[in-house]
Order: sequence, then C-alpha cells, then structure tokens
Amino acid sequence: MPDGSFSHPQERQFNPYTENGGTILAIAGADFSVVAGDTRQSEGYSIQTRYAPKVHKLTDRAVLAVNGFAADGNMFVKKVKQRLEWYRHAHAKDMPLRAIARLIQTMLYGQRFFPYYVYNILGGIEEDGTGAIYSFDPVGSYERETCRAAGAAMALVQPFLDNQIYFKNQQAPADSPHPVHLPLQDVLSIVIDSFTSATERHIEVGDGLEIYVILAKGRSAQGLESIRNVQEMSTNPEGDRVFVIRRELKKD
Amino acid sequence: MSIMQHNGGSVIAMVGKDCVAIASDLRLGVQSLSITSDFEKIFPVTDRLFVGLPGLATDVTTLREQFRYRVNMYTIKEEREIEPQTFAQLVSSTLYERRFGPYFIEPVMAGMQKTPAGGYAPFIAATDLIGCLNFAKDFVVAGTASEKLFGVAEGLWEPDLEAEDLFETISQTLLNALDRDAFSGWGAVVHVITKDKVITRKLKGRMD
Amino acid sequence: METAFALTGKGYVLLAADTTAVHSIIKVKTDVDKIKELSPCLLMAYSGEPGDTVQFAEYIERNIRLYHIRNNFPLRPPSAASWIRRSLADSLRSRKPYSVNLLLGGYDTSTYMPHLYWMDYFGTLAEVPFAAHGYGSYFTLSLLDKYHDPEATVEEGIATLKRCIDEVSKRLVVSPARFKVKIVDKDGVREIEL
Repeated sequence: MPDGSFSHPQERQFNPYTENGGTILAIAGADFSVVAGDTRQSEGYSIQTRYAPKVHKLTDRAVLAVNGFAADGNMFVKKVKQRLEWYRHAHAKDMPLRAIARLIQTMLYGQRFFPYYVYNILGGIEEDGTGAIYSFDPVGSYERETCRAAGAAMALVQPFLDNQIYFKNQQAPADSPHPVHLPLQDVLSIVIDSFTSATERHIEVGDGLEIYVILAKGRSAQGLESIRNVQEMSTNPEGDRVFVIRRELKKD
Repeated sequence: MSIMQHNGGSVIAMVGKDCVAIASDLRLGVQSLSITSDFEKIFPVTDRLFVGLPGLATDVTTLREQFRYRVNMYTIKEEREIEPQTFAQLVSSTLYERRFGPYFIEPVMAGMQKTPAGGYAPFIAATDLIGCLNFAKDFVVAGTASEKLFGVAEGLWEPDLEAEDLFETISQTLLNALDRDAFSGWGAVVHVITKDKVITRKLKGRMD
Repeated sequence: METAFALTGKGYVLLAADTTAVHSIIKVKTDVDKIKELSPCLLMAYSGEPGDTVQFAEYIERNIRLYHIRNNFPLRPPSAASWIRRSLADSLRSRKPYSVNLLLGGYDTSTYMPHLYWMDYFGTLAEVPFAAHGYGSYFTLSLLDKYHDPEATVEEGIATLKRCIDEVSKRLVVSPARFKVKIVDKDGVREIEL
C-alpha cells in the first residue's frame, strides 16, 4: 500500500515464460528434406532482433527447427547437440534421425512439469535414405509426417500446405494421380510462398528466411542449381549433404 | 470461449476480373455441438450485391432482417437500387449505432459497383463488429476461420482472375481453411457475381 | 435433467418433453406438460429457467391466439417461428432476458408440409429435420443422425422416438421418469400415449 501498511494481502508472481514469435516449417521429399524458419525475434510489438536463427544443423543428416520461447529453444538445442556429441564419442558415428527424434521426446518429457516452451520440428534423412520430418509438442508428443508448420503463423501456413503438399480438396484426374512426394524445386517454391504470405499477414513473421535442404547420400543437387544464395554446410560431400538458402523477407 | 465463436462460421470475399466472389460455410453449432448443416449466412441485397454475416447466429438473423428493411426503405425513397458503396456505409452506421452493445457480427460484402462511365467495377468490403470499414483490393475474410483464410488466400489469390478461375480459387481457399477449423465447415456455398449474372454453387467437402 | 426432442416424418412432427419439475435436488412434480398447443396445427416444447419458461410460453400462446382471433387464420409455422424468434432476440438485449429454449413443430395447412424449428434463448432459429435441447441432446442427436427418415410413417417415427427415450433413460445420470409425446399433422395436434 502507498501508506506502507501491511493490512492488505499482496500477491507477487514471476512468469518464467514469454513468446518470441516467428514461424517454422518443414517438408519431406522422397530423398530430401527441407526445414525452414524466419529469423525475426520479437516480444509483444517490439522486434528484439532481425536475425536470430531458429533452424539449427545437428548432424550431416539432421536439422532441428525450434520455435516458441527463444531462451528455452536455444538451451534445448544446446543440450540436444551435447547429447549428440556424447553419442559420437561413444559410437564413432552420427545418431540416426529416428533415434534423434526419440531422444528429443525423452528430453522434452523429462521436463514434463516445467516444460521447454517450444515447438520442435526435426527434419533430415532416415537411415533408409528417405526424407523425413518429425514434429513435437512442448512435452514430447511426436509423429513422423510429410509436412508441418508451427509457430505464430501456423494457422496461416498449415491449411495452405494441406492444399499444396497433400493436395487436400483437389480431385486428381483418373489417369494421373497426385504425387506422394514433390520434387525439390516445387517444395522450395511452396516454402518461399508460404513465408512471403505469412510475412504479409502476420506481424511476428519477417526480416529473413533460412531454408535448410538435406539431400540423401548419392542424390544430385538437382533442384538447387537454379537457386541463388545457396551455401553448403556439410562436412562430407560423399554422404548426406546439408545446404542452406538465405532469403530476405519484408521488414515491416 | 468468446461470444464471437459461440455458433461458429466463416465468410470470405474475393475480387476477380470483372467479377467478385463471396463464399461461406454452412455450419450452425452451439460451441462444439453442431446443430445444422444448412445455415446460410450470405444473403442477396440486390441483383449484384451480397452480404455475408458471420458471427453470433441470432444476430445473423436480426441483422439480415434489419438490412432488408433499411434497403427496402432506401429503394422506395430513392426509386433506385442501392449501390454496394452506399450499402457498405449503411452496414457501417447500422453497426456503429450499437457501439456500446454491439451485434456480434463481422459483415463481408461483395458486389458489382456502377461506374460513372456506365460500366461495373468489382467491389468488396468488410467491417468489424462495430462497423469499421475495410475496402480491400484483393480479398476480405471474417469468422472463426479468418486466420486460416488469410493464410490460404494470401497464397492462392492473384489479380485479374476470370470468373471460373476465381470460383476455383475462392472454393479451394475456403475448403482448406474450413478443414483446419473446428467451428466452421459442414458444407459450403459460393456465389460468383458478374455484371449480368450470379452463379451459386454448393460445395461438397468434408462433413466432420 | 430437462430434455426435449422432436423429429419430422411424412406429413407430421413428433415432439417429446420430459414431465418433471425440479427444485434444487427435489422432484416437485412428475406430470408437467411442457408442450404447448399454440394453434390448431402448431406445437411448442419449452425448457430452461423455471418461471421464465411458463411466463414466456403463455405470452407466446396468447399472442398467437390473438392473431388467430383477429385474422380468422392462425399464423403459419414459418411466420410464427420468425415472430417468436424476434421476441427472444429482443428479450436477449433487454434488462432481464428470458432464458427459454424452444422446439417448434407445426403443420402448414397451405403447403401441406411439416415444419420443425430449433430455437435457443439467444433467438437462434434453425429449421431442422430433427432437434433436441438439454443434456439428452448429446445422446439423441447421434441416434437421430442414424435412424431419422423424413419419409417415415407415424409408427416408424414413434419407434425412432422410443429409441431416443430409451437411450436417455439408460444413459443420462438423472433421467426423467416420464416423457409426454405430442404429434402435429394435417388433423391437428394430439397427445400420444407410448
């Protein structure tokens, strides 16, 4: 009370969470995966930075996108990377994708009663050489999928993906059924369109776009050659390869 | 849950080349319980103008009656049909009249507006529940699936679509947005308006 | 717990409502008629806040009767539904709204068509092939989805109605002891003993 008396009970609370905006998205192809995220980090109506990567390369065949509470996200990625390094030291190889997925679920559920406030999407190449996407909720429920959007603009992007990736509500001609997996070039166009659309209508999405492309071992870089601003991130060009494409998004 | 979500329902309108389209779902529910799958929320105002009224279902009916009355009075007094631009202002003032006890409706309008040259130009508009007008050049959305509609429409819409292409665009936008919204769906209806005719189609979609 | 439901068939509408009057945890009466006969071919089942229900139902009943006397013809079901809806919608934004939910079943003697309307205390109006109010609706609507036939004979309609009553009696925690069932068709309204 202003008069300094203690006659009225007061309540104080510390809220350990905040929401930092942004959106992530991943699509699996037959022998590749694409994982993308914008780079804006915001709190309320303020932009904290225009470049805070949400997509992280874990191994030469696994990429993790993390969205939600940035502090939790960064810490979580750090811990996953540490566990993967221990695995490397113990087994002299990279952890397979499906094992990383299970590891992430265990780590998330380990914090069941004080969760990492993040939505994860793991993308990469499975041991059998197929492209794969795993999506997680904050406490570790997970599922392998072909495509998934998460974060601030999930509501905007996911139905668009249903339509363009799963061909939902589209009737295929009898002689040419819908493809199960799209070619890389088409997937990249859809990813870029999704983010420009989300940027247009959502205030928390924008600034920059990072698209990670993971190619299965032996697959040519076909579909990437016409793309500008591509950078290879992989250590071994003979194995599964990781590329990153960087694009500008509107900054308003 | 907010009163705006009580009955569910969504509407979208789009501009094309010498045509406009307006579409909605057909669900009427009470929270998560679906009551009927033929609750229309888009109504004709004139031969070239439609209004969609997503929101609280009781106000859908009340406002529809209110607008019909006021448009009839206008037509009798002026001895001519109301223009879309004028009707939009009528909608706005009708809603703002209830500024501090609003109708829980976010109207969407689509029609062909007479031009000074004697032709017709596409017209769409939307307002919030207290009548703040939004004259968009591309598309407008409202209702419980509005976020989803924004996302898909932003991805699918392009300028100068012909009537049939506009029909496909608005239908795909609506259907895919509805399938991700628990409060909208259970069938859909699309009206494509050109200067000399209106094409109305019921869409077959998911019924869950 | 209060439950009312209705269904249409070939040339008729069936309405059923429970007959209990509850006060707190006490059953006060078990023979209440919650279906009013508004005009020769119009029935209205009402439920909701005790007090409001009877007050509002009688107000509607008398005004529909007044219209009949003044014009020598009763209001047809669609018009009656519209007028009742408006009464509820206006009431909703008044100082003390009525909280009354209605099912309106009628037979239109001009078009020879049965009509059934679902209405809640907001003034939400929907014409439906079958309808329900109260906790019973969570059982009966799914049953009616499966078994309702708009071309069913009266006997088949009653059989479907019985399925609903039986399910409510079986699964609802505090199930009503008895249901009153009324029918409206070209011959007018009458009660049906199950």
